[in-house]
Amino acid sequence: MIMEHKSVKILSARQISIQNPLSEEWMESPLSYSEDYVRAVDPDFKQFISAGDARRMGKLLKRALATSLSALQEGGIENPDAIITGTGFGSIENTELFLDALVREGEQLLKPTQFMQSTHNTASSLIGIHTKCHGYNSTYSQKGFSFDSALYDAWMQFRIGRIASALVGSHDEMSPVFSGFVRKAGHVKEGEICSEAAVSVLMAESGDNAYCTLEGVKLFDSPSQDTLKQVLADMTAGGIDAVMTGMSGNSENDSWYGFLDSMLPGVPQLRYKPLFGVNFSSSATGFYASACCLKKGGVPAVLSASGKAIECSKGILVVNVVEGRHYSFALLKPVCGR
Amino acid sequence: MEELILKLKQEIIEVLNLEDIKPEEIDNDAPLFGEGLGLDSIDALELIVLMEKNYGIKLQDPAKGKEIFKSINVMADFIQKNRTR
Amino acid sequence: MSQRSVLITGCGIVSAIGQDCGQVLDSLLQVRTGVGPLKYLKTEHTEFPVGEVKLSDEEMERMMNIAPGTPTTRTALMGMIALHEALGQAGLSREELKDCGFVNGTTVGGMDKSEQYYLDFIENDSRNAYINTHDCGSCSEMIADRFGRFKMITTISTACSSAANAIEMAADMIRLGEADIVIAGGSECITKFHLNGFNSLMILDHNQCRPFDAERAGLNLGEGAAFVVLEEAGHAAARNAKALARLSGYGNACDAFHQTASSPDGEGAYLAMSKALNEACLKPSDIDYVNAHGTGTPNNDESESQAMMRVFGNNLPPVSSTKSMTGHTTSASGAIETVICILALRNGFIPVNYAFEHPMENGIVPNMDLHKGCRLRHVLCNSFGFGGNDSSLIISAVE
Repeated sequence: MIMEHKSVKILSARQISIQNPLSEEWMESPLSYSEDYVRAVDPDFKQFISAGDARRMGKLLKRALATSLSALQEGGIENPDAIITGTGFGSIENTELFLDALVREGEQLLKPTQFMQSTHNTASSLIGIHTKCHGYNSTYSQKGFSFDSALYDAWMQFRIGRIASALVGSHDEMSPVFSGFVRKAGHVKEGEICSEAAVSVLMAESGDNAYCTLEGVKLFDSPSQDTLKQVLADMTAGGIDAVMTGMSGNSENDSWYGFLDSMLPGVPQLRYKPLFGVNFSSSATGFYASACCLKKGGVPAVLSASGKAIECSKGILVVNVVEGRHYSFALLKPVCGR
Repeated sequence: MEELILKLKQEIIEVLNLEDIKPEEIDNDAPLFGEGLGLDSIDALELIVLMEKNYGIKLQDPAKGKEIFKSINVMADFIQKNRTR
Repeated sequence: MSQRSVLITGCGIVSAIGQDCGQVLDSLLQVRTGVGPLKYLKTEHTEFPVGEVKLSDEEMERMMNIAPGTPTTRTALMGMIALHEALGQAGLSREELKDCGFVNGTTVGGMDKSEQYYLDFIENDSRNAYINTHDCGSCSEMIADRFGRFKMITTISTACSSAANAIEMAADMIRLGEADIVIAGGSECITKFHLNGFNSLMILDHNQCRPFDAERAGLNLGEGAAFVVLEEAGHAAARNAKALARLSGYGNACDAFHQTASSPDGEGAYLAMSKALNEACLKPSDIDYVNAHGTGTPNNDESESQAMMRVFGNNLPPVSSTKSMTGHTTSASGAIETVICILALRNGFIPVNYAFEHPMENGIVPNMDLHKGCRLRHVLCNSFGFGGNDSSLIISAVE
């Protein structure tokens, strides 16, 4: 089937992660860590959220709201037509409090606020309530593929013609107890930093000062080699400067990206996990980092596998592979005329 | 009664996470819901849990809560009369 | 873009009122509730009536030929049973699944096991395999992988509208040509976690729930799973697949009011229903039946009632909630109720709002007659989730 060409502008993108929050300082002076479990660096939330509102929110929700409000502010849109978020585990803080009390103290006198804040769609609906947006609102929870799914849905909403703007994000937090769980389960591997991240991206049909444009999103489960070849050929037909990958330095994880060496030979490879760590929202940090590079017109050395800065004039293909089976591809290009 | 009122205020501040508010800033007769402290239906549920946990008073009907939680004084009075702990 | 029509060529269901479409149909026609005393969940709160699936985990494992000792969760098992029926009805082989998408809706995921093994997760390594079954996405993979590898898999988690949103997303994929077949639905088992959660919100009825009744006192939790096979019309014709119904429209809107309560005027619900009608190019008068969200809580039923009156004015079609029979199946409800709507369309009857007695003041009066032999053209199905995630689907008869 021939796909009509579609292009959407990335108006703004914001992060709270293990790098300095709500800023692009990481591009020149990244924070580096020797620990293997690192909590996010939080901004002063009071600049975004009143004490009255904040009192019920755990860290994940504050970060989701702060990055959203910041992205909306920068992008100049108050009410996006859609709010779509992803989260692999939801609000761990509240889930843990409720679950812990349930298991250790029994089924009496449990706290409604903790339960209420533990459902995965709390962030999306909180942003909707805060911005009074009655538009399309959804939440995806597919482990490290959650942001990718949210992005794919947004992309479909634009193509169908239902929306002219969308706030797309992904938020995951961690706790000391859960960090043990994710290591046991292999979600975070040897040599990887178990981290937290909240990313919000504002995209729209039109707008000034866009970071870059989004030209395509594709998702697969266990694609064949032929499918991978075809997708890469289609998406890089116009040329790209680099491919953003979820490689982390762990050999099992990195082996899932081996197909890029053979199918995109010579294309510089970028890595965001050494900077932002690993959590179920990591792929959102990769997308965010790519958008920042295109905004600046160049990839800083810290992101580049080769250690060399790279000029950006053609575009970046963002590739995420989860558990060696789920593949996502997102094509970002510079804004025309820059 | 004064002791109970102070204790109650501290407990409410803790349970509802009213970080920025000090006990002396809560007027004993001011409405807790709507205006005044501006609490809502979820807060009412948390206060129902607090009543049972700290004072052994079990409220089956959430609607009754709104009357009992009218103000600090009303609440303290109710606790004084009905506490089993 | 030319309009690609979305048909439903298979469905599967497991719920408190039946373990397949035939049993569910029978219960609906007999107006037989599946809500009753707790039997399977090990909880202190036996005072709450619930709509449990009348199968133990072990029985479900045997039904699905799961090798003993394989880590599974109740939500995944129910999902497998429903998916098995749906794929069978649609006549899809294992090989054909690699061209099909799969979108599941769940919120509790594997919490039934996590709440049992939480302390083991912390203190030892005896139950580590169940850490991998905890999250929503893993649940969807377990359900899908039982039958083969799909073209893509994802999971929506928007509380009580999860499955409805999964169906909407799947339909969008078909309309855009991302796939010709996408299977969508949801699964959710009752857990101590959310039974206690809902209890802490004081919205559970200690008796049989009574949607739209003036004296209603809350909901009864239920559990179950359902999937529909959505297929592009041309593709279905080419492989001689039997169309059960058509998904002719759908809408998603946010109430943007409160995390656990719906707005008094039901704005989100009103918008979702209006969007669905708009996309289907239908007028309110084209709708022959509304399967309401109708949980039995004072708040939802009032809010939804207002919203329906805003949409339909004085010409309200028959409305009923089937949650008094199935219980509130939370994330699965959108799909379970879609299947109920398909059964109603195909068998010419209108489900009854079991347990209703006293009309609300200024509210809708639900349907209490089966209207056997009626001809339904278009049916509206509502699912409204915590946080104001409101979705409405329109399912239409096929000639």
